[in-house]
Amino acid sequence: MTAIDDDAIDTLAGDLVRERRGLGGRLYHGETAIDFYGRRWWGLGASALLLLLTVGSLVWSGLNLSIDFEGGVVWTVPSTSLTEDQARELISDEGLDGDRAKVQILTNQDTGFRTVEVQVEAQSDEVRREVQQAFADEVGVTADEVSTTSVSSTWGETITRKALLALFTFMVLVALFIAWRLEWRMAYAAIVAMLHDVLLSVGVYSLFGFLVTPATVVAFLTILGFSLYDTIVVFDKVQENQRRYSGARIPYADVMNVSMNQVLMRSLNTSVAAVLPVLSLLVLGSGILGAVTLREFALALLVGLLIGSYSSIFVASPLVALAKEREPKFKSLRDRHATGAELERLVHGALPSGRREAKLKTGDESKIAVAAALTPEAVLTHTPRPRKKKRR
Amino acid sequence: MRNKLIFSLVGILVLAYGGLITMLATGTEPALGLDLQGGISVTQRPKPGTEWSQASLDLAVEKIRERVDSLGVAEPEILRQGDTIVVNLPGVKNQQQAEDLVQVTGQVWLRPVLSACQVLPDPEDLVAPTESSTPTSDSTESTTPTESTAPSTTSGSGGPSRGTPTTTTPDTSEPTDTTSPGSTTPATSEPTDSSVPDDTVPEGVYDEWGLPIVGNPDSTEYRRLIGDPAQVCVVGPQQGTGEVFDDNAGAQIINGGWAVVVSLKGGAKGEDVWNALVAQCYDRMSTCPTGQLAIELDGVLQSAPTVQARRFDGEVQITGDFSEGEARTLARVLNSGSLPVQLQLESVQNVSPTLGKDSLRAAWISGLVGVGLVLVFMVLYYRMLGTIVALGITVSASILYAVVSLLSKTQGLALSLSGIAGTIVSVGVTVDSYVVFFERLKDEVRAGRTMRNSAQRGFAGAWRTIVIADLVSLIGAFVLWYMTVGAVRGFAFFLGLSTLCDLLVAYFFTRPMVLLIARTKWMERRKVMGIEVASAGGAA
Repeated sequence: MTAIDDDAIDTLAGDLVRERRGLGGRLYHGETAIDFYGRRWWGLGASALLLLLTVGSLVWSGLNLSIDFEGGVVWTVPSTSLTEDQARELISDEGLDGDRAKVQILTNQDTGFRTVEVQVEAQSDEVRREVQQAFADEVGVTADEVSTTSVSSTWGETITRKALLALFTFMVLVALFIAWRLEWRMAYAAIVAMLHDVLLSVGVYSLFGFLVTPATVVAFLTILGFSLYDTIVVFDKVQENQRRYSGARIPYADVMNVSMNQVLMRSLNTSVAAVLPVLSLLVLGSGILGAVTLREFALALLVGLLIGSYSSIFVASPLVALAKEREPKFKSLRDRHATGAELERLVHGALPSGRREAKLKTGDESKIAVAAALTPEAVLTHTPRPRKKKRR
Repeated sequence: MRNKLIFSLVGILVLAYGGLITMLATGTEPALGLDLQGGISVTQRPKPGTEWSQASLDLAVEKIRERVDSLGVAEPEILRQGDTIVVNLPGVKNQQQAEDLVQVTGQVWLRPVLSACQVLPDPEDLVAPTESSTPTSDSTESTTPTESTAPSTTSGSGGPSRGTPTTTTPDTSEPTDTTSPGSTTPATSEPTDSSVPDDTVPEGVYDEWGLPIVGNPDSTEYRRLIGDPAQVCVVGPQQGTGEVFDDNAGAQIINGGWAVVVSLKGGAKGEDVWNALVAQCYDRMSTCPTGQLAIELDGVLQSAPTVQARRFDGEVQITGDFSEGEARTLARVLNSGSLPVQLQLESVQNVSPTLGKDSLRAAWISGLVGVGLVLVFMVLYYRMLGTIVALGITVSASILYAVVSLLSKTQGLALSLSGIAGTIVSVGVTVDSYVVFFERLKDEVRAGRTMRNSAQRGFAGAWRTIVIADLVSLIGAFVLWYMTVGAVRGFAFFLGLSTLCDLLVAYFFTRPMVLLIARTKWMERRKVMGIEVASAGGAA
């Protein structure tokens, strides 16, 4: 039995254990054997490049903040008939950005007196007067009746400060929690991946000059939450396999690769499930039904969700692997890791026990023997039983 | 086992659909936010002809925000338009409610403390006050022979009394970090003023915050004050306002700790009022038996320092174990109180939505279509099991709808566009719980286990993952909800709600549903999940 040639096993394994399927089929049946670890620098490199681009864009052009953050100037026009669209049009005619203006219609509860408030970012006195006059002409009152005031941001300094403080606290708590339930290397990787995702999403806004509104901030937070969630699910699998292999001398890269392949289908499915509604919001909501406000918002979410799923596998996991490899236990095994058919066998071997028996056609004893021999990991499909404590 | 599963399944279905039907029958609907439905806009302006400082107007804005936020989870909009303060409130039905919500006085009151303040770790602990009222840091004892009960120390300075007893006392002003709430501090610092009986706290009377009401909150004789951290003090009627101070309060480092220094206005409006009040406290007269003086802003205790001198000439120092931030906040409060802004209601108006009906309709339609697509995908991929996802989504949606409707009615919760978006993204997370479960189930089945066995083992594994991942989301949601204001707070609320819902549905719906189906004979033979269930023979 010991003299069996490796290649022979491979061929045998190929014939015996499964018929080769196309990529789709292998994905569907959880039989992929992609060497994620070997390609770790691709993901990390691409992310580094994108981050660089983001930081560059943030420094270069910054963010396009809406009046909710910066305050501005508001014209209050008393009118019984002026509509929102007319007001926007008038603003555009004056050379300002009508689409970005915030238009609200106020009605007094007692008197029914109606005013239209049009708010845009800060303007010079000259522009203020011109627009004031234009509004007055439009609704047929004197310029004095249209008031012009400066308006503060609704999203003040305090809100930003509190939110940042809360985010910081949140990250510390989450890091502690992950360190406790999983391990600290994963905590660090998860936080880095989360920051990566949010930064890249912000980068999209900066790069394309999209308007950042309070709703956008909420979108960023949503991304942050999703990114973290997705990463934890992946890490939970890694942790599980780590325990499974804890008794074997096996490179950490293999543990990581096996986990990634096992979790791949879950990640793809979840991404599809998360992206579909957002895509619908983007295509149907803003494209066909024409709700423009939804567009940028949905776009932020879409980009964030995609990056969030990507980073769990291509950023967070390599980071854990890199940190983990330094451990004495894995250090000596660092340069080797299974690829190709060998990896495939590992992925199969990591299924809950019993797989090979089920797949084998009964009656051929020699083949069973070979199958049993070809995956030494088969013995390790369960966590090694912990040593019993001595009874006193 | 089987009965338990059926019980939990029926339970959650009744809960979810019952809740939904109740809400629909009673016509309770989720209120919509400012961006989607508009709301009420309240404009306030400083009383013409009165003097006020810019600082106090700023503080008023902040206080209004705190008030509005503390009463609900809606996303209000608060802004300054010139000198007026505009508050836009979603989900508020009547004018009176809106007016009550936004009115702050900006007045700082000075009140003698009648019985030692208690920190409230937990409303439950209050009924029977066991611990010695004020936790004192150890350093206090040695440096101050006179006072150790004080949460903080006020001492006269600037005058001849520069060397007053205990300017240096660095003790706990607000026992935040040094003492963990609930721990019984050794009674070494038992106050000298044990004459004040703690039984002034009547049992079992709680206010809307779940804190016990001490005395009658409406009368000026006794007041319950909440600080941060929550403290209950029994205080007497106000005997002075913040107007005794100049508006030059500043945070400084004094003897290595942060302190607030402020000067008194001269004459009848300042020093005289202040000294009359502190004399009572210093002498521990019956009107101020604890020697503490409470500084209150709009019903919230800011600080309750112990008076360390009978007379103050010109300047007051408030020392204590302040952090820099705490000292600066107190200084701001004092500055604002020295020239409080008197706001008067200018107008109450209905305000139109900023996004409008079209956006809302588009969001609804595309959201529903999106969820529909997800369900089609699930059914295509997981076949029979996919239909469980569909059913599960209706359960989650019913629970969410019922809870949001209920909170809209009782708490003034309003659903804004960001809330809706958060819910749409949460579809992904909800579906993920099923995906994690089903993928595991498939692994187990492939490994040759029976359907029944696989379902059980699969859920055990998946549940672990779901709990860890959801707990992280819950931590996030709670921290963000607790520490932030406005839109972020609204987002955090929906995140927390949908995460809880996810856990609930996974355990009480998905688990029994799949386990029960897995027990049926019918299931053993079928290609239920798009993979061959190991034609039963392999596993025995």
